[in-house]
Amino acid sequence: MTVLQVIINSIIRASELSLIAIGLTLVYDLLKFANFAHTEYAVVGIYLAFIFNVTLGLNIFTAVLLSAIFTGLIALCIDRMIFRRMRDAGRVILMVTSFGLGIALRNAVRAIWGPTPRSYSIALQKPISFLGIRITPVQIWIIVTAVVFMVAFHLLLHKTKLGKAMRASSDNPALAQASGIATERVILWVWFIATSFAAVGGILIALETYLLPHMGFAIIIPVFCATILGGIGNPYGAMLGALALGFAENFGLYLNFGNIINLWGFFDFAGEMHIPTGYRDAISFGMLIVILLTKPAGILGRRG
Amino acid sequence: MLRVVDVHKSFGGIKALDGVSLEAEEGSITGLIGPNGSGKTTLFNVISGFHPKDAGEIYLKGERIDNLPPDEVARKGLGRTFQISQAPQKMTVLENMLLAPKGQMGEGLWNALFGKKRVLHQERHNVEKALGLLNSVELIDLRNEYAGNLSGGQKKLLALARILMADPEIILLDEPTAGVNPTLIKGLMRLIDELKKEGKTFFFVEHNMKVISDICDKVYVLDFGKKIAEGTPREIQENEEVLEAYLSGSSKKWTQKVGLDS
Amino acid sequence: MIEYLTYLSIMTGIYAILSLSLNLQYGFTGLANFGHVAFFCLGAYTSTLIVVLAKGPFILGLLGGIIAAGLFGWLISIPTANLKEDYWAIVTLAAAEIVRLFFLNEDWIFGKGPYHGGAFGIGGIPRPLQSWFSATTYPFFYLCVVIFFLALTYFVARLLTNSPFGRVLKAMREGDDLPLAMGKDVRKFRMRAMALGGGMGGLAGSLVAHYWSFIDPYQFMPIETFVVWAMVVVGGKGNNIGALVGAVIIQFFYISTRFLKDFIPIDAQVLASLRMVVIGLLIVLVMLFMQEGLLKEKKRVYQG
Repeated sequence: MTVLQVIINSIIRASELSLIAIGLTLVYDLLKFANFAHTEYAVVGIYLAFIFNVTLGLNIFTAVLLSAIFTGLIALCIDRMIFRRMRDAGRVILMVTSFGLGIALRNAVRAIWGPTPRSYSIALQKPISFLGIRITPVQIWIIVTAVVFMVAFHLLLHKTKLGKAMRASSDNPALAQASGIATERVILWVWFIATSFAAVGGILIALETYLLPHMGFAIIIPVFCATILGGIGNPYGAMLGALALGFAENFGLYLNFGNIINLWGFFDFAGEMHIPTGYRDAISFGMLIVILLTKPAGILGRRG
Repeated sequence: MLRVVDVHKSFGGIKALDGVSLEAEEGSITGLIGPNGSGKTTLFNVISGFHPKDAGEIYLKGERIDNLPPDEVARKGLGRTFQISQAPQKMTVLENMLLAPKGQMGEGLWNALFGKKRVLHQERHNVEKALGLLNSVELIDLRNEYAGNLSGGQKKLLALARILMADPEIILLDEPTAGVNPTLIKGLMRLIDELKKEGKTFFFVEHNMKVISDICDKVYVLDFGKKIAEGTPREIQENEEVLEAYLSGSSKKWTQKVGLDS
Repeated sequence: MIEYLTYLSIMTGIYAILSLSLNLQYGFTGLANFGHVAFFCLGAYTSTLIVVLAKGPFILGLLGGIIAAGLFGWLISIPTANLKEDYWAIVTLAAAEIVRLFFLNEDWIFGKGPYHGGAFGIGGIPRPLQSWFSATTYPFFYLCVVIFFLALTYFVARLLTNSPFGRVLKAMREGDDLPLAMGKDVRKFRMRAMALGGGMGGLAGSLVAHYWSFIDPYQFMPIETFVVWAMVVVGGKGNNIGALVGAVIIQFFYISTRFLKDFIPIDAQVLASLRMVVIGLLIVLVMLFMQEGLLKEKKRVYQG
């Protein structure tokens, strides 16, 4: 594997995680709690897209769009039924509630579709080779989609009234409410955007791999890591955090630590010393723990 | 007893304390007044170890305490109350009181598990003392009530009684009479006076000028994080600068309310 | 039938110990431990290590499990002492997964031979005093063992929570400021709460390893943490009997639904998923409408 390939893999991974991380950071900042059900919304989105794409036979692009919208709507219903009654609740209570909600969502999906892996009906992927790297069309689409959504988000945040309201509510909720920015409406919009982004992000992952109900849980730590790394409330930080994580995971497995240790001149490793692939998850977990212990405000801190 | 030397503290770009120096002598009652936002609570937080200082020194009985964590400062004999009651709401008034005494054997694991008799003995003693204090602040009937159900004024009284349970040598009180009914305030003043005679030192932030002039030996005035005056209550009331600070802009209504402009 | 009831009782007993353990941490001290399964896992594996590899006696295994898990709880709380509750929850979640990944990947610990370790799990864990009883009476014996340790755990929990030690823990629930102002070394108390809760969890883990005679990393997935949370939250947080009641209720729910498939044509997998949906919803509902749980925390009333 060449370094270029590792870089490409990192960017792909980052693309998958970035949209989900943006969603998490928005909700975390506005509603002031860690939404442990966030990645399960991604799972809901993944399987909704399955309905549209496989069960109903629509093309994948339509499926993605429809799934994003419907996931957002589901999130609105859930907010109405659950979180709206808990606007004043403490962070731990909210967290535990989202915990329970996450279990319910994930297992509802599992009950309906079962634990066997599924796939979308997309064309068979033939990797394109150039410059010593291999990339499939789907993977290119993943990167493109992520970029498109991130740009769209940026435009939303800075060029629309809603975006302005979102920024105001995030910077100074009391003032925003007093100025008449309808905070409840902003909350609803944030839920919609956050969860629809999560749905898209999840679908991107599923496009590259497969569909499984526990995928949400598999990415919850990496997503939290990216979010916290970038600073809660900072969507750009979330994007960068996703990038950092993508690189950390892929280079973490790729790098031959034997060589690195040799560079220090202490030991003489003849062989290879890699982080075993079984510990791939541990990389993001470890990163998360390190960040939380050293710089919990994140590298970028709040959005400037 | 307490000596604060040239303490500075900034939050972000705002200078909350700008070279504040003051002293509280043993067995005295010192007051701290100033317009809202002048840094009084910040000073308390820095002294008691809840906020680290940026510069300066703080001495308690001659020992430096400015880099110590808040629990150590408390163990060294400095007690404080909070402007907004921090009483655990899901604990009863009596439980709150029992939190305070230092050196409780039952807080150690070994004793909690194996020293039942000793712990009970100490508890009984503490309960008696707590009931006595609750009596003097007239909260005795509420002893089994959850602290969260108390009114604002009652919470202030609880805070006072509770910190007295800890038997500190110097007590920092942050607005101890806010929300407390006037007849009770008289009783509190008498209590504080008695304790002063027993050798306790008091240092408190107050907006109630009557309280300040009645029992304080010395008063310090803060404005924008700077000490602008010190002296007896009489001297402070006649101090031009103090009146200036209070009469500027929105503080005027405040001064009229507390009677400083009479 | 009797056999099944005994099995059920033993499992309920073991989960009750876990419930008491989490209640000590969350119900009494306010620590939202989302990685609780780590104690269960460490207890099971350590005990197995001692008994299977070092051929030590059961009691030593038990002790080892308690100490290992307790130590983990203690260590985890050192660097994380200053984290806010939600960050703390995330860290514990990540830490528990790292523990599980460790046992999943490191099969060499258990040597070669019939004990494969790693993903294959470890079998042939000897049951204490198995030779003294026949196959039919042994479960009763083990039930007595579990009840004994459950009673022990309950009394320790009760003693501690009713003592001045417990009082400080309860004060810490609502913020560090007041206990600090009262001169309590909050960090020390937190570490002890984690160590104690950890030890209890480890005890449960040891007991379960020697009962099942086989353990693998898939028995210690995060879902186990959620189930224990449901027990604490439903039964009544801050109430030791509530913890026991919660364990019984959730277990009862499990059994009653187990036989559903005999009456309703429902696939076992789907049933398992639906059960979890209900557990998740239970947590949400309790948080919404009955935050104290079934058995509210008892008010400490002093006579005289």
